[in-house]
Amino acid sequence: MPLDIIVGIKWVPNTTAVNIDPKTGTLIREGIPSVVNPHDLTAVEMALKLKDRYGGSVTAISMAPPSALAGLEHVIGMGVDRGILASDRAFAGADTLATSYVLAKVIEKVGKFDLVIMGHETIDSSTAHIGAQVASWLDLPYVYYVVDAVLEDDGETLKVTRILENAYEKYRIRLPAVISIAMHTFNPRRIRLSEKLRAKMEKPIEIWSIKDLDIDPNCAGLRGSPTVVSGIDFVPKVPRKNEVFQGSDPKEAARWLLNKLIEEGLLDL
Amino acid sequence: MRKIIKSCGITVVNKMDVASYRFDVVVVGAGPAGSSAAYTLAKRGFKVLLVERGRTPGAKNMFGGRVYVSPLKEIYPDFENKAPIHRWVTRERVSLVDGDNMTTLEYEARDSKSFTTYLTQLSGWMAKQAEEAGALLLNEVTVDRLYIEDDFVKGIVVGEEVLKTDVVIDAEGINRLVLERSGIVPKLRPSQVALGIKEVIKLSAEEINTNFGLEGNEGLAWILMGDVTKGVPGGAFIYTNRDSVSLGLVVYLKDAIYKVDRHISNYIEELRLHPLLNKYIREGRIMEYSSHLIPEDIGSIMPSKPYYNGLLIAGDAGGFLLNLGYTYRGVDFAAYSGYLAAKAVEYGHDNGGYSEENLSVYKKYLEESFILKQLKKFKDVHSLMKKERLFELYPSLANHIARELFHIDYESPKILEAIKRAKEGKVGWFTLLRDLYEVSKKL
Repeated sequence: MPLDIIVGIKWVPNTTAVNIDPKTGTLIREGIPSVVNPHDLTAVEMALKLKDRYGGSVTAISMAPPSALAGLEHVIGMGVDRGILASDRAFAGADTLATSYVLAKVIEKVGKFDLVIMGHETIDSSTAHIGAQVASWLDLPYVYYVVDAVLEDDGETLKVTRILENAYEKYRIRLPAVISIAMHTFNPRRIRLSEKLRAKMEKPIEIWSIKDLDIDPNCAGLRGSPTVVSGIDFVPKVPRKNEVFQGSDPKEAARWLLNKLIEEGLLDL
Repeated sequence: MRKIIKSCGITVVNKMDVASYRFDVVVVGAGPAGSSAAYTLAKRGFKVLLVERGRTPGAKNMFGGRVYVSPLKEIYPDFENKAPIHRWVTRERVSLVDGDNMTTLEYEARDSKSFTTYLTQLSGWMAKQAEEAGALLLNEVTVDRLYIEDDFVKGIVVGEEVLKTDVVIDAEGINRLVLERSGIVPKLRPSQVALGIKEVIKLSAEEINTNFGLEGNEGLAWILMGDVTKGVPGGAFIYTNRDSVSLGLVVYLKDAIYKVDRHISNYIEELRLHPLLNKYIREGRIMEYSSHLIPEDIGSIMPSKPYYNGLLIAGDAGGFLLNLGYTYRGVDFAAYSGYLAAKAVEYGHDNGGYSEENLSVYKKYLEESFILKQLKKFKDVHSLMKKERLFELYPSLANHIARELFHIDYESPKILEAIKRAKEGKVGWFTLLRDLYEVSKKL
């Protein structure tokens, strides 16, 4: 019972190096190297594990400018079979609604699939919207925070486990379906030489523009994005006193710390 | 990392037929050595695979900040106009530091033989030249070891995959794990290497020109010795880039292991805040912190021979770096050794194969070039670097002499008098003259 899987990846600025423009409130992306959203690599790993187990195929999709080809090449290096980059000026400035619409259209055009896998959220916007929205557009069942998925013998039902704060929930869902994988569930596998060679030599990545997709231009890009960032307030900087206990006796240190906290009115004994 | 997955742990390895891709040459590492080798070979019609561990070429390498241009001009036509050059070094400064005193020797010229740049940019540019010449560059691929059959290097091993090829050029850098794992070189020892630590500090081009007294794209290379390394044998450097300053320290690892008592980043912090230096970079913002190993004891790092059946070793991995204390030459040595390795491959190709016998021509090329001539000429410099007097006593002495001569209340001393007073209780004439003789002989 092979599974044809589609996995969504986002090409994001490496947020450890990103600052926010205090005037416009947007990310300063200029000169910041981009990476595949790490939580999406977890999703790719899940897709590859399922493929290892049941056979089938894994197609990675992304909506981004052409620089994201490097990201698709990265996941193909991990073992993804094929990459599709939805790239068009008309897609620029999209919020999650417009993005999920285009991704759903890409999935619709791919046509043959059993399962769509997304990451938990992205490190540059952290909305965690895309999985749910794609499922809504496609009218498919959706389970998120997934940590495990097993195909039942009928080949049409997926038994998924999702993690909550203090429980695991198990669901049986009919395929096709959409799931998103809880962050840090897997470590992505190492890049393979042969896959990386294939990525370069056999050109398994296609670029689809608005013309390749049956898309209503009013639903894509800035035009299709109802979200407005009305403003950004920065968390006020808390002035630190930078006091360090000088000494080596842990008992004395604890007493010192306790007294400080009482002095500051943070503890009331 | 939560370990709760039980049912998905089965991994069926799809062994792909890597053999379906054929390359004449595989080059390991897309740094200056690997990229110049790949470029030279691709241009001469070889099918070259250039394998890089980092996300992009240059992601894993690091240098102080300056490159000597003549060897690169020989490899790349029109290098000066096409390569990412920041500033041409027109001013050389060597300073001996003792506390808040500094004695400096400075040389300035209107022309220049070296430039500053970011190694990431230069490596990216060099790899691009190789790609444009027809080499295939694969980023993010880590070679584990060489594939050796019957004492002949026949390919590379990545994970459980083997890619066979006719000849491999190893340009993996100083941390040469591929050669170590393949049993070709022993593990590095701390006594063989130094540790370089660097901050890149962002300033505007105008601020740099004003602060350092430069004009246009003039650059400064500044080496400092003395207690800037807080008693750990080594030195410090400052290079001006287009709109940033590279500020760094080099400490001998063997000594650093015993003498560095806090995290090494504190040492560079103190260097940046040093009252004699901070005024040049005060307005700056730290953009980058990096560190890297540097070949030091070249004689012992060099493999007994830089070739093997089916293998050539270039760049830092081969120990091709020259440190004279007042200047470092790594990038030009690496690039030129890669260029010579490429020529040796061509020789092997034209003479029936890549046996040791044929590839030994590489050693000959190196010996005829500046690389081994220079490394032989300065082979004893490393033994000087073991002399602690050089790092502490003499910088201090120089500053004491200068202070005697220039810090006058009423009466000026005669020069000999100043020297006598300065060295009082620190060093005897005999030791001083013997060290002076030794330095002038070895350096």
